[in-house]
Amino acid sequence: MRVVFIKGVVSFLAVLLSFGVAQETFRIAIGVDADTLDPVQGTTTTVDNIVDYMAQTLIGIDESGGLVPLLATEWETAEDGLSMNITLRDGVTFHDGTELTSEVVAWNIERLIDPNVRVPRRGAYTAIEGVEIVDDLHLRILLSEPAPYLAGALTQTTAALISPDSVEAQGNSYENVTRPVGTGPYVFESRSFGERIVVNRFDDYWGELPYYEQVIFQIVPEATTRESLILSGQVDMIILPPASDIPALQANPAVEVVMGPSDRTIFIVINTTDPALDDPRVRQALNYAVDKQAIVDGILFGAATVMDAPMAESIFGYEPIGTYEYDPERARELLAEAGVEEGSLTLDFMSPTGRYVQDFPASQAIASYLDDVGINAQVRTMDWPTYIGTMTQPVEQNETQLHLLGWAPAFLDASQQMQQFHSSQHPPAGLATSFYHNAEVDRLIDEANAEVDPERRQELYAQASRIIWDEAPWIFLWVQSFPMVHSADVTNISGLPNEKFYAIYARPAE
Amino acid sequence: MHAYLIQRLVGVLVTVVFVAITIFLMVRTLPGDPARVIAGVLASEQDVDRIRVQLGLDEPLWRQGLIFMGNLVQGDLGTSARTSNSVTSEIAERFSATLYLALVSTVLAVAIGVPLGALAAAKAGKPLDLFVSTVVLFGISMPVYWLGLMLIILFSIRLRWLPAAGAEGPLSIILPAVTLAFFSLAFVARITRSTMLEVLHQEYVRTAVAKGLRQRVVLWRHALRNALAPVVTVVGLQFGELLGGAILTETVFAWPGLGRLLVDSIFARDYPTIQGLVIVFALLFALVNLIVDLLYAVIDPRVSYG
Repeated sequence: MRVVFIKGVVSFLAVLLSFGVAQETFRIAIGVDADTLDPVQGTTTTVDNIVDYMAQTLIGIDESGGLVPLLATEWETAEDGLSMNITLRDGVTFHDGTELTSEVVAWNIERLIDPNVRVPRRGAYTAIEGVEIVDDLHLRILLSEPAPYLAGALTQTTAALISPDSVEAQGNSYENVTRPVGTGPYVFESRSFGERIVVNRFDDYWGELPYYEQVIFQIVPEATTRESLILSGQVDMIILPPASDIPALQANPAVEVVMGPSDRTIFIVINTTDPALDDPRVRQALNYAVDKQAIVDGILFGAATVMDAPMAESIFGYEPIGTYEYDPERARELLAEAGVEEGSLTLDFMSPTGRYVQDFPASQAIASYLDDVGINAQVRTMDWPTYIGTMTQPVEQNETQLHLLGWAPAFLDASQQMQQFHSSQHPPAGLATSFYHNAEVDRLIDEANAEVDPERRQELYAQASRIIWDEAPWIFLWVQSFPMVHSADVTNISGLPNEKFYAIYARPAE
Repeated sequence: MHAYLIQRLVGVLVTVVFVAITIFLMVRTLPGDPARVIAGVLASEQDVDRIRVQLGLDEPLWRQGLIFMGNLVQGDLGTSARTSNSVTSEIAERFSATLYLALVSTVLAVAIGVPLGALAAAKAGKPLDLFVSTVVLFGISMPVYWLGLMLIILFSIRLRWLPAAGAEGPLSIILPAVTLAFFSLAFVARITRSTMLEVLHQEYVRTAVAKGLRQRVVLWRHALRNALAPVVTVVGLQFGELLGGAILTETVFAWPGLGRLLVDSIFARDYPTIQGLVIVFALLFALVNLIVDLLYAVIDPRVSYG
């Protein structure tokens, strides 16, 4: 009797609680707390994604990675590549009532390049020299050198616009914005650290109004807990469920799994300066030795697609080159040609744990494939800061042989991906940890990075890609997907190829 | 009593200063350049240098130490490298969540653990005692992480009675507090049982029984009170641990407390926040210890501080 009573009270309270929640709220569970909500200071895609609800960029991207108008309706690079003309959208207001004008854009761009402001991703904007205001809705960005990737760089949340007056209001400062006041469809409402960030619909939004009055981003670091939240109906959507549960979630009618596209390539960096690995035939053999598709199916639960070029398909400059089909026989032949006796090659193989989808289990599988062709690879792991520290040692102190890494270009342009193959980017200057050096590749990349004609640019990157593919400074693995799960009661949710979710226009399913 | 209190408070202060100096030196001997970590791997040398100056890392070590201690005295723990907010305010913001969780767990652990332990002692060797011992063994050996997930699966996903995670509404404390309390509960029950057993064999208890007092009165009024002093120590220590170490529980239940702040800060190599948290934890431990000692005098009339 008493048990029944307690049960009754508990369920009554639960019902009461669920009524307390506004019906028009959309809840998303994310894995990391925002270190900053200042657009220029962002470093993680998840946080960018939240900022995107509030602040918008001049140029946006669509689901295939193409550039689309956002706050700018037109943009055009001058023939000499040294300036870009921009036309702004008319009738856009910020959350504080400020109008979108050339002056506001100029102020934002100057803040972006101001050395007194911390901008971790400033690298993409170093070519900007200043801004020339033509009239209220027209401006010109002036460049010190051609930067054909600039339109792409302007799609990054780093370049999202905020109202100049807002940096002196409500706890904001010029150096550190904590409440972004932008032009987006949602207005910052509140945040509590480690817990949640709340945004409310902006009813004077210039574009189509979203369905939900309020969106709550709940910070839930544990993937299993995020999964529990969606299964218990406490949230409407989660990102990155535990990979091993993806098949079960796909079979569950209460939820839908969306495999968002991504630009993150996962690969094993081969130290091309190591005497055991400086022969391209050995590196090709490593590529042939691994059955990537089998690992994607069996260990990543389908959350990836095997690479067929040194970059993801969504990136400008991509061209499919081919595949290193699983062919252990060919691998053994190549090793023999290179004079490597079976069983004589022992390689040190570093792998992070928990940084990328199923990274360590995948590395163990790869090691066993290498073992099949007579290469003994010893997998070891370490914490992420130490990992980065070890792999970025300068070449003369660098003792790594193989290490697994993921690379998501800051924006969808081959200039970003190709940093991995340019000799100017060897550590400590950059993160091209394969120490790959090919003068022809360097030349092609340099030329492409400065080429204004898109077709010619595409062709130059493709040429470089073909050489890189053949010389194999990596074991090319896969392009990781970005899995999201949403309740079957909601619809209109998708992913953008820069690892962002697109749920602004989510609404109840019919 | 007052002299004793002042003496102990000075002790707390000395401990905290000692911990502050140690952690300050430890952080500075860690490999890796904090300015580089904060600026990000892709930052330019100028950006790194600017951050180094902003953080005062270009000053000699002794000067950095003096500045650090000077700020500490004023309650300023520096600026978080990860979020650019003041460390003091970040810790303050999370503190109440952890305190709330620790308090509720402790209350649960005491409210269930003490009677359970006392009963087990009274029925030593009987089935009830065996049952309690099993629960204790279970509680001490069960991983918090696993227990938390099991509770979520049962009460949130299957029955839909309780929120699975987060800190919204009065119900959301239940699962994390029960999970966290389980370990302490087992500990408290075990200590209560063994001290009770000791007390039950003493003369005065036998006298009380011989006088014809009912067993219930003997057990709860006479014996338990005398058995409580060691239990208070354990509860105090546990409470200190709960405050500082609820890391796993806070992670599993997405509870916005200090444990998670510590984990986030370690992953981001946010030295100022790690430093600040360690100092705050040291202070909490020292204070909890002090309070436990003072409680002795209340519980056990034989203890007095002159």
